[in-house]
Amino acid sequence: MSGRGRGYRGNRNRNQQTLSSVARETALSLPADSPVLAMFKTAARQLNERQDRHERLVKLSRDITIESKRIIFLLHSAITKEATEKAVAEANDRLNKLIKGPFKCIGLELEKSPAYLHSRAVTAGFQEFIEAKTLCSLMDKGVLITWDEVQKEMQYTVKDSADDGDTERAVVTMLTPTDYMLGVADLTGELMRRAVNSISSGDSQECFQSCQYVRDLYTGFLGLFGIGKELARKMNTTRNNVAKVELAVYALKVRGGEAPPTLLIQQPPMTDWEDSTHHSDDEGYY
Amino acid sequence: MCENELINDIFTKFQQSLDSDQETREVIRTICKEIDQISREAVTYLQIIHHKEEGISQACLKTRGLFEKARQGYLRLKEAVPPTDYFKYHEHWRWVTQRYSFLIALVIWLEVGILASHETVAEILGISPIEEKEGFHLDIEDYLIGLLLLCSELSRLAVNAVTRGDYNKPLQISRFVMELNAGFRLLNLKNDHLRKRFDALKYDVKKIEEVVYDLSIRQLLPKTADEPKIEDSKEADS
Repeated sequence: MSGRGRGYRGNRNRNQQTLSSVARETALSLPADSPVLAMFKTAARQLNERQDRHERLVKLSRDITIESKRIIFLLHSAITKEATEKAVAEANDRLNKLIKGPFKCIGLELEKSPAYLHSRAVTAGFQEFIEAKTLCSLMDKGVLITWDEVQKEMQYTVKDSADDGDTERAVVTMLTPTDYMLGVADLTGELMRRAVNSISSGDSQECFQSCQYVRDLYTGFLGLFGIGKELARKMNTTRNNVAKVELAVYALKVRGGEAPPTLLIQQPPMTDWEDSTHHSDDEGYY
Repeated sequence: MCENELINDIFTKFQQSLDSDQETREVIRTICKEIDQISREAVTYLQIIHHKEEGISQACLKTRGLFEKARQGYLRLKEAVPPTDYFKYHEHWRWVTQRYSFLIALVIWLEVGILASHETVAEILGISPIEEKEGFHLDIEDYLIGLLLLCSELSRLAVNAVTRGDYNKPLQISRFVMELNAGFRLLNLKNDHLRKRFDALKYDVKKIEEVVYDLSIRQLLPKTADEPKIEDSKEADS
């Protein structure tokens, strides 16, 4: 009604009041420097700060995700023992660089703001990093790195240069236990891939070990109750991973004696490495 | 098996953190439920503004009493929430806090006709308006959504005031909501909840404008000194 009425009335009589003229008059009568507008300007500044920080964190998180995926790829690429050692050393080096670089930036970025406000911005990066970190520690030392240990690595001391000498302050990048667990859930996918890869490289011992590790982790997840939505969603993938790796081990046992290991080569297609947003690609193929 | 023990350890620790988390949530949920009930009572009291002019000041007074009760609730909530974890549990009190922001802003507008500031609302609830690294506060987004709820309620009041024969109030509401509308345009909203709620504001504004327009073409608006005389016209379609 308003649109039609406006044009019609406006043409007929300029003196007449129209809907838009009523609105315009009200808008024009507003003082430009009212306390209300001043309040909104303050609010705008607060919201902008929050948004900018969020964007910067998303960027950092994305950088971490990409580098972590590359590290995982590097760890999978090695076939011989010597190559594996070299790959693990390089991976450790690159993981440390991540901790000293982007993670420190996240810690500094969040230093003044409340925890959890931006947890959604960084969770993806944290998860992928934990996935890489735990896989690397498993291949390096044969044990899973715990939450405490990772958290301890993310404590920094920052030096402030002031006129009255340098002061040091501690900055911690908070890793939530949930993010750690989500990363560990993704680890089962990597272990499955590793088990399948090790069949192709003829290392059946490695395969059984990885398989057992996936089972142990799955058992652990089954025992949890009161897990969040996200973790519950990942449980499906984890269950599939267990099934796949057990089937692979079964195949190795039954048919492994009949065929030389080279006939069992079935490399997973690795085309979706750059896809950082989806976690479903962690299931892998065999 | 040694590895198994390590894994067991990891999962036990995680389960412990889940458990304590659940306990905190349980306490928070109970308090939020109480606060929520009080807010619903307040909403019911204030419905009178739409049909009974004389009841307004009485309703405001009664609602003020409820705010005092809510303040006690927020005090307990503040103690229940670990100071570092405000945003971890924010979901639990987000809605009810938005409603309180709305209710407080409405009562203050009815009483004195001005906008309740972020600080005022926070003070009535007995919490801090400033977001800090630690501590309980009134989140700016919750406050702003409260204001948007207020605009919807006022658009309804504008219609009902006319029905009641009060031609002054729509003008007052129109000026107030227009100013808020201008204010909200200053914000850079991204595609979130606040933005969606803000997008609905234009319908409230439109409704109020239409009421004022209907009044103005029938010359029912109270005269101000500098307003030019408008010739009378009867509208067929409205």
